[in-house]
Formats: sequence, C-alpha cells, structure tokens
Amino acid sequence: MTHYAMVIDLATCVGCNACMAACSLENQTPVWADHWRTKVHDREVGDGHGITRRFIPRLCNHCDNPPCMTVCPSGATYKTKEGVVLVEVERCLGCGACAMACPYDARYPATSDDIDTGKEYYGKLQRKSPSMDKCSFCYHRLLKEGEPACVQTCVGYARMFGDLDQPNDPVTQLVRSGKARPLMAHLGTRPNVYYIPER
Amino acid sequence: MDILTFTTQQHWTTWFAVYLFLGGMGAAVVAVSFLTHMYLREEKELVMWGALSGVAMMVVGSGMLFLHLLNKWAIFYIVSPYGVFHKPDSWIAWGSQFIVWIQIAAVLYALPYMVEKPRLLGWPVVGNVLKMPIVLQVAGVAKKIHPILGWVGIVTGIGTAVYTGLLLQSFPAVTLWHNPAVPILFTVSAFSTAMAWLLIVMYTFIYHRVDHSIRALYERIDLGLITAELIIVFSFFNFTLSGSEGGYRSAEMLWGSNGWLFGFVLFGLIVPLAMELKCVFGSWSGKAPIVTASLLVLNGGFQLRAYFMAAGIYAYPW
Repeated sequence: MTHYAMVIDLATCVGCNACMAACSLENQTPVWADHWRTKVHDREVGDGHGITRRFIPRLCNHCDNPPCMTVCPSGATYKTKEGVVLVEVERCLGCGACAMACPYDARYPATSDDIDTGKEYYGKLQRKSPSMDKCSFCYHRLLKEGEPACVQTCVGYARMFGDLDQPNDPVTQLVRSGKARPLMAHLGTRPNVYYIPER
Repeated sequence: MDILTFTTQQHWTTWFAVYLFLGGMGAAVVAVSFLTHMYLREEKELVMWGALSGVAMMVVGSGMLFLHLLNKWAIFYIVSPYGVFHKPDSWIAWGSQFIVWIQIAAVLYALPYMVEKPRLLGWPVVGNVLKMPIVLQVAGVAKKIHPILGWVGIVTGIGTAVYTGLLLQSFPAVTLWHNPAVPILFTVSAFSTAMAWLLIVMYTFIYHRVDHSIRALYERIDLGLITAELIIVFSFFNFTLSGSEGGYRSAEMLWGSNGWLFGFVLFGLIVPLAMELKCVFGSWSGKAPIVTASLLVLNGGFQLRAYFMAAGIYAYPW
C-alpha cells in the first residue's frame, strides 16, 4: 500500500513563496481572491535587535480522519486509497461545511466569478463548475509518479514528500523519529503533513 | 509551532443563523402541532397553522442555504433519499432528508382540513388548486394514513431540530460548537420558539377556535423549556471559562457583548420567563403579556444562533 505524507522543515523555509506560485499555476487557483491551496504564513518573532521573521507553509493536511469528509453531505470529498483527500467538483454543492470543519483553514470557495476571471487569467481553465477547493497533493502528478509542484519547486528543500508505508523513505524516518510532528494532533484528525520545528 | 491564531470564520454568517433558526423552529412547530392534534385534541385550525407556517419557515430557512450554494445543481445529490445512504455520516445529508420529508408530511397532514375550509377555498389560486379532483383524492388518501403522516412529521421534526445542533457540533476546531451540549441547546431552543410561535398564533389569529386548555398547556411547557435553556446557557458559560483558549475567547465575546447579555439572556430568556410565570401562576391575564413574552422568546431564539455563529472562535496553528 501507499500512504502519502509531506514533511515541512520550518528551519529551511525562507519564505520565498515559490511553492505558492508553482501551486497556483499547476492547479489554477483563484489567487486574485487571495485563495491558495498552499500559503506561506509569516510572523515576526522577538523585538528590538533580536526580531526575526518565521515562516509556516500550510496546506490541506490530508487527514486520515478528515472532518471535512465527514460533514460533506454529497460525498464530493473523498479519500483515495493512497490517503489523499480529494474533491469531486461536479458533486460538490459548495455549501462550505468542509471549510467550517477544517481545523487547518485549508478550504476555500472557487466561485462562478472565479471561473470567469480564471479564463482570462490562466487562458484555458481546467475547472468547469464552482465548488469548494483544496490542495490535492497534486494527485494528477502522483499518478504519473511525480511529486507535488510545491515540493518540486521548493528552493530550500523545505518540503519533502514520501510514502509512510515505506520504512526506508526519508519522510517515514523523520516522522517515526519524532522530529517531524503534526499540527493540532489533539483534535484526532490524524494529519499527514508534518513539521520539523525551527531549531 | 505552538503559536496559535484565534479568529472567526466568514463562510457561515448571519444568513446561516436565519437557516438554523427558521429550520429548527419550523420543524418543531410541525412536531408540536402534530403531537397536540394526535394525542391531546383534534384542533384542526391549530394543526393547519402549525403545518403551513412550519413549512413556510423551513422554505425560507432552506432557501437561505440554497441561495448560498456555489453549485446549486448539485442539490439533487442530497435531496434524493439515496443521498443519505451514500453519506450516512453527514448530518447535513440527514438534515436535508428530514427537511424534505417533514414538508411533504406537513402539507399532506393538513390537506384534508384545507379542502374543507371555506375561506381557503375562496382564495383565488389556492382555492382552485384545492378544488382539483386529484388534490381531493390525495386529501382522501392522506386522511386514511393520518397517523403515519403524523409520526413522519414528529420524527423528522425532532430530527431537524436536533440536526441544527449536530451540524455545528461537527466542527472540531471550535470549542464553543464542538461539545455535546450544542444539540441539546438548539433542540430546547427550537421547541421553545415553536411553543412561542404557536402561542402567538393561538392568542391572535385563532383565539376563539382553539380550546383554552391547549394554550395553558403550551405556556407551562414553554416555562420548562426556557428554564432548561437558561440552565444550558449558564453551563456553557462555565464550560467555556476554562479548558481551552478558543473557548475562553468565545466566552469573552459572548459575555462581553451587550447584544448577547441583554438581547438574548435578559430579554430573550429571563424577562419572558418572568412574564410567563406571572401569566401562568400570577395575576396577569389577557393576551398582551403572553404575546409579548412569546415575541421576546422568538427574538431570543434568533439572537442565540446569530451570536453562536459569530462567537465560534477557530484556533489555527500559525
């Protein structure tokens, strides 16, 4: 079996936002509405001469127990056998319950207006109907044995992608060692995006 | 890593509170009027008002949700009974079925009385529809299966009221919503507002056509429901005061707000409770006090849901 997961090393993320750019072009996300499948949040830490900026890229955590999938009334949100949480666009009502349920703020609406704007912005648009949208771990690339666009483009190698069912995979080893930890694990969502804290 | 951002959401705002309020109250109105009709007294006027006003509330409430859907055509996935078999773990799937079936049951239950009512038969379009042979046939069948329709209405009515709370409980990142008391609070509030609405109807539109014993019973039940709601609300206050930062911030928002304190707790619960106590056990008589108290209860029911939506604090890990 395959169980995809991502590890993000916060010590090596430089906040260049290349992942956001690569993702938006790959997945044609409505960036004009400030909606991204992955977004790098930044925060100033400390004060005076000791002030620094810290970055934390976030995305859908492709939880093993995803609350967004449970609340979805039409079954538009589903999990693949590899553990990737996807949205069947045509089946999605766009009620927004998934966005309300997600503790990682990973869901956003892609509206009819966004489709019109997207046609001008991206040229040929893959999306045909409005729905709630989210990161797919670039599932279409995974099917071709590729990796997510954000991982491939990351200049600091802060993002690593792997298979938790492969014991020798570096991602598996980072997760098993406890160096990489999930966010909000106490909620019982069993997320599959792990973070290595700043050192 | 452990830095948290606390924020509210912008997806489901006041319009969603309208959906929760009208959906819960409308469903409870149908359930209460059916129970009254089936097991207390055969009050035809009350059951017609209950069924039709309940349906009207649910149509408006569901309409608010429908208007906010991004892909309205996909509604067919959840209104068809198949939807709940496909997604039995989704409360919206269940709620959608409850709302569909309660409206069908409510209209059919009231239909045998509607086709006999001269005033309705005199209305321009409605009268013509009610006189149609097919409608008369359906009314005849509905009369024969009245107990079945009644129980469909009661079960789906209670289900809808509970669902409005279960829906909010499904969102784990918000302490205020993700706890076992929310469905109880919303169910009690739905039935309290339903009692208030039916009291208004009985004291104004159909005063001489309903037995006084029904009004007296409703007043007493509403007293119990408002008291229960007060207890649950104050247990919420106690629950959110400690245990999680998100919950504490929700408590700060709610109890630091004049709208919540005065609009809901004081004038939506305490004042109507005192007024109804005075009406039931005290010296107040006449229609005005109980109608005023009921209007305050209705306002409180909406305030509760509006403030609950606004005060749901998310804790994001960045």
